Amino acid sequence: MSDQKPPSNRRDFLVKIGTGAGVVALATQGAASLRALVPNVSYDAPTTVKLGPPADYPDGLKFLADERLFVFRDGNTFHAVSATCTHLGCTVRAEALSRPETKTVDGQPLKLTHKFSCPCHGSKYDGDGTNVAGPAPKPLSWFRLSVSPDDGQLVVDLADQVDRTFRLTI
Amino acid sequence: MPLLSRLFSSGGPSAPGVRPTRLWSLRPKSDRESGDAITSNFLLHWFPAKVSKASMAWSYSFWLGTVTAALFLVTILSGLPLLLLYVPSVERAYQSVKDIEYVITFGRWLRAVHRLSAHGMVIVVVLHLARVFFTGAYKNGLGRNQHRQWNWVIGVAMLLVTLFLSFTGYLLPWDQLAFWAVTVGTNIASAVPFVGPDIRELLIGGRNIEQATLIRFYVLHIVFLPGALAVLFAYHMWRVRKDGGLAKVDHEEVTEAPRLVAPTPTKTYTLLGVARGTSPAVTARSLVAADTTVNAVPDMARRSMIVTLGTLAAISILAVFIASPLEEPANALVTPNPAKAPWYFLWLQEIVTDTTLHLGSFTINGAFIGGVILPGALVALLTVWPWLDTSPAITTGVWFPRARRTQNIIFIVLLAAILLLTYVGMAMRGPYWQFYWPWEAWPDIPKRI
Repeated sequence: MSDQKPPSNRRDFLVKIGTGAGVVALATQGAASLRALVPNVSYDAPTTVKLGPPADYPDGLKFLADERLFVFRDGNTFHAVSATCTHLGCTVRAEALSRPETKTVDGQPLKLTHKFSCPCHGSKYDGDGTNVAGPAPKPLSWFRLSVSPDDGQLVVDLADQVDRTFRLTI
Repeated sequence: MPLLSRLFSSGGPSAPGVRPTRLWSLRPKSDRESGDAITSNFLLHWFPAKVSKASMAWSYSFWLGTVTAALFLVTILSGLPLLLLYVPSVERAYQSVKDIEYVITFGRWLRAVHRLSAHGMVIVVVLHLARVFFTGAYKNGLGRNQHRQWNWVIGVAMLLVTLFLSFTGYLLPWDQLAFWAVTVGTNIASAVPFVGPDIRELLIGGRNIEQATLIRFYVLHIVFLPGALAVLFAYHMWRVRKDGGLAKVDHEEVTEAPRLVAPTPTKTYTLLGVARGTSPAVTARSLVAADTTVNAVPDMARRSMIVTLGTLAAISILAVFIASPLEEPANALVTPNPAKAPWYFLWLQEIVTDTTLHLGSFTINGAFIGGVILPGALVALLTVWPWLDTSPAITTGVWFPRARRTQNIIFIVLLAAILLLTYVGMAMRGPYWQFYWPWEAWPDIPKRI
């Protein structure tokens, strides 16, 4: 008879169901295992950090190792530049210029007292963070500084990049 | 008779019915006995019954694959005690490695054995790859069902696993060297467009290199990567046998015409017809002719053991004299100056330094070009090379044949470039990755700001 199914069809079907179930089970397990490796909670350091009273900061530069941050002071204006190299994330080092110079950065004058070099691959940055040599693809980030309303400490927001006209005046 | 000479003596007591006891007692008298010794033994089952003398020659393969396997064995053996002594936590990892180095009896030697065999593996794997390339051994000869090109692909995968295995081990001491090498390495991963940052986060288990990173690298180092390498290795060996042994055999098959040889006395024949002539003779190629082959056991087994023992001896002795470095504890706040990658990645560090492109206002990070595109292209080229190579099958298993001169030159140039960049990175880069000739003194730069 033409409408009679071959006797092996049920077995084929069961084999397919079994194989399919096996593949789905493995795929789900695999996906669940991989997903479990993506952290839901970050135990990384918070991005908004109190940096101590402004009076602690000398004129010129202060390096904050924990935040990998340079805080610059010129009289009563402050700005903060990241110390994380934009190439591959090493910590750049500051070198004092023999003579401070003034440069116009995005239309605003800025007194440059230092320049930066990266120990990993030799990138060089101007005092305002502009990448001038080496493999660094972009300038060092500038972060927003503010004054804490409760105790007057300097506060940096490492998640909030600002442009290079930013100054905090106290 | 002293014990040792009794163990190894080939003669022994001569009284009738007394069998000498020897450590290695197999002396097969016939091909069948030799074949039986193989099929009834799990370890020796890896071996074929017969191997051609030419493919066993030291000067053909230098036994580099066997040396690599022996080094892998040594890393596993020396890793086992370290597994019990090392603590994978950021608070205690450095101290436990320091204890291994300075407090635990033989700890320094064990760590040196582990480190040297791992580094040796990187070197010998590359030499093995070069040997296979120069002899065109990834090409199929005239044998049936050969897929040598796929075994070459497996080999490339094993090279990558070896490098990654070494790199994950690099982080474990949790010293400055480790921390910054991994900072740079994982930042290269994040230079991949779109998915890069996610890959990095998955690899290090967060945004910063922390406890999650250490445990991930640790588990990769002791479970996943060795497991993957073991599986690939087993497959690699199985393919070597399926493809008919070393490529040298194929060359002999092609170049040596079948000839008439007298049958060996133990071979059995079925009478299928009436033979002409006055003595029985069979047609044999070099692979089966008695004078060009030897029994794998004991000939190849003995030679493998000599190679393994030699490797073990060399590493054990070197480990007495070459100490493993241990720098200051990892400090996320201070980047060493200069900060260098492991030596086998220094050529990549050189490339990522030199390949940032500025096109007007548009910039491509050198990390992407030098850390992802170039090595990716190199690995891709290596992988597909067997299909690009159209030289005749007769050049399979021959060192530097004329027909493959151009590609051999390309390979040598690429290898030389990598070696040169490695040397520049090792010896000619000082503070701030500045270029200094080896005889130039580095300027005195304060270590910290």
